[in-house]
Amino acid sequence: MSRTLLDLRPVYVVGIGLHRYQRLSETTYVDLGLAAVREALADAKVSWSEVQSAYTGTAIVGMAASRPMLRHLGATGISMAQVENASASGSTAFRQACLEIASGVADVALAVGVDKPGPVAMAPGKTNIRDLVGARVVPFTHFALLANDYMNRNHVTAEQIALVAVKNNRNGANNRYAQRQKAVTLEEVMAGPPISGALTRLQCCPVGEGAAAVIVASEDAIARLGIDRNRAVRVIASVTRTERVYREAKNFDAELTRETVTQAYREAGIVARDLDVLELHDAFTIEELLYLEAMGLCEPGDGARMIESGAADIGGRCAVSASGGLLAMGHPIGPTGVGQIAEITRQLRSEAGVRQQPDARIGLAHMVGVGAVCVVHILRHE
Amino acid sequence: MPDRIAAQPALYSADPGKPPSLNGGRCRACGYVFFPPQQYGCESCGAPSDQIESVALAGRGALHSFATVHLYQGKGIEAPFTVGVILLDDGPSIRSILAGRTGEGLKAGDRMNATFASQGSDDQGREVVELRFEKSGEKS
Repeated sequence: MSRTLLDLRPVYVVGIGLHRYQRLSETTYVDLGLAAVREALADAKVSWSEVQSAYTGTAIVGMAASRPMLRHLGATGISMAQVENASASGSTAFRQACLEIASGVADVALAVGVDKPGPVAMAPGKTNIRDLVGARVVPFTHFALLANDYMNRNHVTAEQIALVAVKNNRNGANNRYAQRQKAVTLEEVMAGPPISGALTRLQCCPVGEGAAAVIVASEDAIARLGIDRNRAVRVIASVTRTERVYREAKNFDAELTRETVTQAYREAGIVARDLDVLELHDAFTIEELLYLEAMGLCEPGDGARMIESGAADIGGRCAVSASGGLLAMGHPIGPTGVGQIAEITRQLRSEAGVRQQPDARIGLAHMVGVGAVCVVHILRHE
Repeated sequence: MPDRIAAQPALYSADPGKPPSLNGGRCRACGYVFFPPQQYGCESCGAPSDQIESVALAGRGALHSFATVHLYQGKGIEAPFTVGVILLDDGPSIRSILAGRTGEGLKAGDRMNATFASQGSDDQGREVVELRFEKSGEKS
């Protein structure tokens, strides 16, 4: 019989580190990654020699990314592998690290995400299955179409959708790791260059470079290495699913998220209203509304009203994209999912400073990726 | 009538004198109808290639949603142009370029039909046509 994470050895996040997400620069991916890993090791007060396994979430830098980066921490001979899962690469690297701890194969493991913009070979283009629109429909138009449908069905305006960018940029302005660190007004969001449909530039996430790292450990390792238990955050669900054929539903993005999050709630033994912090895949403003509804944080069709009410603000019922989300913190691909875990850990430790959600105890991280795939983790401070 | 050919002959036929239709696929095992066509296996039930047959899908349906693209630097079309999701009467929902550049006058639920837009001619002098959708005269 298959088991869930809660049935296995407890897994804890014990260290987090980031390199700021930023526009493409001369900095090598090695420098980006090492900055994040060194910060995570220092945060955990664990030496590199204790880490037994490393997963690098990366989709763009190319084949064999891990060891040419990690050898500069000392070539200890540990297990290393790259994980590519489109935008969910970092989330999947984190999941693999968690599963190693949960299974007992390792006591201390690293998940690091690193990427730099550059040419990328997309396998779906090699299937020889063509559609009518091809490259004329890129992700921003895919989501502009969903935004158009959402506005029609729910009598919501373009301005109401754009409020997501105002909230997330307000949060990102207080995050030193964010690519966009500037609060914006609704007028500024609406005045930006139109990209596709209702989406303006500030309603589309920046894709730059950066790195994020997380150290996970077992209870044995926490005791043996003297790690601070009060700063350890338990991972209570790890679920990943892929798109099915939804014969009736026209919005596979929302359906896939609904299925994956529902399973994660069940495995963690929680319900939507238990969530204090939520980092979700807000690559485009409309996504935040669709996923809030799919995750049951509000009634269907009430996503825009939830944002307007302030319930998704820091200090609201559930702080959504407190890091700034993909819209403000940025979406460097490989790092993004790992960076979400870092933010939730920081929040659940009550170390998020001016971005702190009061009394945060349970958080959820959600990424989707081309394919389509969805990866969800739930963390709890015990 | 001069000869014309489809810009994407795998996806639609441009036979003169016939209404535009799309080349879909149908699974004989489970009945799933899909577009674009493929021969790898049925996404719905997993039946292999020999269970997949070609089926013509009428170029008629209802507009589900649309978006005008302002940022595009690729070949074959200039921004702004408008993309629509159309629920075909024959089942699948598809995405197509719409005939008008800006989507003015369109609303969800509008009846739509396929039409052809000329893309110039090939080296044999045949007109190359691309399939698009436009609002039809039918009542929604």
